[in-house]
Amino acid sequence: MRQSPEQDAIEKRLGPGKTSRDGFLGTDTRHLGEIIVEDDLSVKRLDLTHAAIVDRMRFFRDAAEEGFGGVVMVPPHFEVRSDSVRGKISCPFGHQGGGFAKNTVIVENTRLNKQVMYTDLTIHLIEAHGFYQGRGAYFRTDPAVLAEVLEVERLAPPVIPAGE
Amino acid sequence: MSPLETFFVSVGVITAIATGLAFLVVLAEMTIGHYGRMKIDINNGEKLLDVEGGQSLLTTLKEEGIFIPSACGGRGSCGLCTLKVTSGGGDYLPTELAWIKPESREKGIRLSCQIKVKRDMSIEVPSRLFSIKEFSGQVEYIEDLTHDIKRVRIRLTEPADISYKAGQFMQLAVPEYELSSEQVSRAYSMSSAPHETGLVEFMIRLVPNGICTTWVHRYLKEGDRVSLTGPFGEFFLQETSREIICIAGGSGMAPIRSILADIEHRAHAQPEIAARRCRFFFGAVSRRDLFVLDEMQRLEASLPAFTFIPALSAPKPEDAWQGESGLITDVVRKHLGTTGSEVEAYLCGSPGMIKACISVLNECGIPVDRIYYDSFG
Amino acid sequence: MNEISVLSIFLAAVFTNNILLTNYLGMCSFLAVSSEVKASAGLGIAVTFVMAVTSVLNWLVEQYILVPLDLVYMRYIVYIVVIAAFVQLVEMIIERVSDSLYAALGIFLPLITVNCAILGATLFIAIREYTLPQAAAYGAGGGLGWAMAIVAMAGIRQKMARSRVPRGLSGAGISLVITGIMALAFIGFSGMIRVN
Repeated sequence: MRQSPEQDAIEKRLGPGKTSRDGFLGTDTRHLGEIIVEDDLSVKRLDLTHAAIVDRMRFFRDAAEEGFGGVVMVPPHFEVRSDSVRGKISCPFGHQGGGFAKNTVIVENTRLNKQVMYTDLTIHLIEAHGFYQGRGAYFRTDPAVLAEVLEVERLAPPVIPAGE
Repeated sequence: MSPLETFFVSVGVITAIATGLAFLVVLAEMTIGHYGRMKIDINNGEKLLDVEGGQSLLTTLKEEGIFIPSACGGRGSCGLCTLKVTSGGGDYLPTELAWIKPESREKGIRLSCQIKVKRDMSIEVPSRLFSIKEFSGQVEYIEDLTHDIKRVRIRLTEPADISYKAGQFMQLAVPEYELSSEQVSRAYSMSSAPHETGLVEFMIRLVPNGICTTWVHRYLKEGDRVSLTGPFGEFFLQETSREIICIAGGSGMAPIRSILADIEHRAHAQPEIAARRCRFFFGAVSRRDLFVLDEMQRLEASLPAFTFIPALSAPKPEDAWQGESGLITDVVRKHLGTTGSEVEAYLCGSPGMIKACISVLNECGIPVDRIYYDSFG
Repeated sequence: MNEISVLSIFLAAVFTNNILLTNYLGMCSFLAVSSEVKASAGLGIAVTFVMAVTSVLNWLVEQYILVPLDLVYMRYIVYIVVIAAFVQLVEMIIERVSDSLYAALGIFLPLITVNCAILGATLFIAIREYTLPQAAAYGAGGGLGWAMAIVAMAGIRQKMARSRVPRGLSGAGISLVITGIMALAFIGFSGMIRVN
C-alpha cells in the first residue's frame, strides 16, 4: 500500500534507534497505514472507541503515580505501579510541542493473572493517532489485550425506549 | 558534412551544452547557494559574531563555541534549542510550529536547529549558556550500584577540567552503535562534586527501550571515549544558613549526593556550612533499590548535622527492614511535623513525586519559594 | 508550422489531450504521490512550472542550436540535460528565497526531473513543430492538465481509504484501475480540438 511521503517519513522515525531503542514497529512487516487501519477495525469489532480505551489507561496511570514506584491496589482486582526517569520523549509523528514524560505504567489484573505495560507516549499515540504500535514492538498494546486486561467497558448498545 | 565532421560536431555540441549547463549550476550554487559572511548580534551587543552563512543557527553557534541545549542533535524532535530571535529569522517553518506555542511566537522564540543563517541576525542567549562547553573524556570506572543503576566515572581529556555547581547535569552524546544510527544525547545529573577535579561521575538507570541507557548498560566499557556538553541546570545549593531537607528516589540520588559531597568538602574551610542541619529522605520500594549506603554512613560520620533517612514503601520479608517504611511523603510528614520557615527543601524526582512532596512540605510550613526542585519530566 | 490558435492548444493540453490521461505519460510520480490531496497539489504546481519553462527553453535550444547545426537527432539527450539542470536551479532558488516553500515542496523537486511527462511535452512540441507561443501554451497547459489529473486521483483515493479493496489490488493495482477508468472518460474528448 503506497503512502504519502509524509507517512513514509513518519514510518522511518518509528524505526529502531530513532526515538527509542527498538522503535515502534517491532517485527511487523506491514506499513504504518495498514497497522492503523487494522487496529481501528479491531477496536470497532470490540464495540469500543480509542477514547474509551485511553480513558481506562489514563485512570490506571494516575492511580499508579501515587505509589512513587511502589505497588498501588486498585479495586476490585488490579495492582498497578509506575516509574519515571529523567527526560522527555517526543512523539514520532512529529507534531506535539514539549514531549512526553518518560513514565512507565504496569497494570496487573490479578483475577486474570495478566498484565500490560505502557507509557505516557503510548497513551498519546493511541489517543491522537489511533496507533497501537507494530507487532513485536516493546510497548505494543494490542487493543483486544488492553480491553481484556484493563476491563474496558463496552459501549452500551443503543437503548430503544419502549412506546408510551 | 562528412561522417567524421558530423561525429566531431555532434560530440562537441553535446559536450558544450552539458558543460555549459554544469557551469551554470555551479555558478548558481556559488552565488545563490552561497550565503557569505553574516553578522550575529547576541544580547544587544554583548557578543558580535562574524560567521559563515547557510547553516542552522544551532550549528553556527556551536561552531562559535556557544552550546544551546539539544537532545536530538538538531533534527527538530526535542524542542530544547529555543532562542529568542529579535531580527533576521525569517518566517516560521512548519517544523518549528509544533514546538513553539502562540504566546512564544509573539515573543519571537524560534527553534534554532531549524532556522538557517541567511542574513544578519540579532538574538538573545541566556548568559548561563555561555559557560557551557563541549568535553571529550574517557570512561575510567563503571560499577553496578543496583540491578538497574550503574555508576559511570569519566576522566575529562579535552578540556581537562570543568567548573560546575553541585546539582547540575550534563548532556551525554550517544554515538552510533549497534542499535542506533542517529546522533542523540541525553541528560544526566552529576553525582560527583565540583572539587573532584578533571572528572565527572553519573548514576545512570536503565530505561526500558532506552537508546542511551541501553548503550551505557550493555555496550559502554572502561576505556571508551565519550563526548559530553555542559554544565546545565538551575538546581544547586543556596548559600544561606537555613536547615536543609532533601527528598529523592531512584536516580534522583545523583544530584543530592553531589550536593552532600560538596558540603562535606567545603565544611573544612567553612565550618558554618557543616552546622546546617541536613536530612536526606530517600524513597525506594524494597532493599534491592537502595545503594551507596556506605557513602551515606560516611557522610553521617563526617557531618554530625546530617542524617540519612531511607524509606521503603514495600519492604520484602527477606529484607528484614528496620528503617522507615511507607510512602516517602508520609515519612517526610512524620519527621517534619510543623517545622517553620527557616528550612529549605531540595527535591529530585518525577513530576508526580515532586508535586506530592511540595504539598506535604507546604503542610509542614515550608513555603513554595523555599522549595527547589529538579524534575524528571 | 500550423495555424492553430494558442488558446486551442492550451485547452487541448489541459482537457482533451491531457498528457497523463490521454498520452499516459508521467505515471510514476503520479502513482507514488497521489494518495493525499495536499501533497498532490504541491507536486502538481511544481510540475506545471517546470513543464512550462522547459518547454520554452527546449524550443529555443531546438531552434537556435540543434536545427542550424543539423543535430536534431540529439534532441533526446539535449532536452533531458536541459531539464535536469533547470530543476537543480529551481531547487536552489526556492531554498534561498523561501524556507517554508522549500520545506513544503523540496522533496518533490528531484522527483520532477525523472517525470517523463516533462520530456514528453517538449518532444511533442518539437514533433508538431509549434511556434514559440504555441510551445509555451502547450507546456503550461500540459502541466496544469497533469496537476488536475493527480489532484483528482488523490481526491478519489482519499475517499477510498476506508473502502474494502481486495488485498491483491490494494495500492498501485487499484490506482491503475482508477486511472484507466478516468482515461476512458477522457477518451470521450478525443478529436474535439485539433492539435496538429
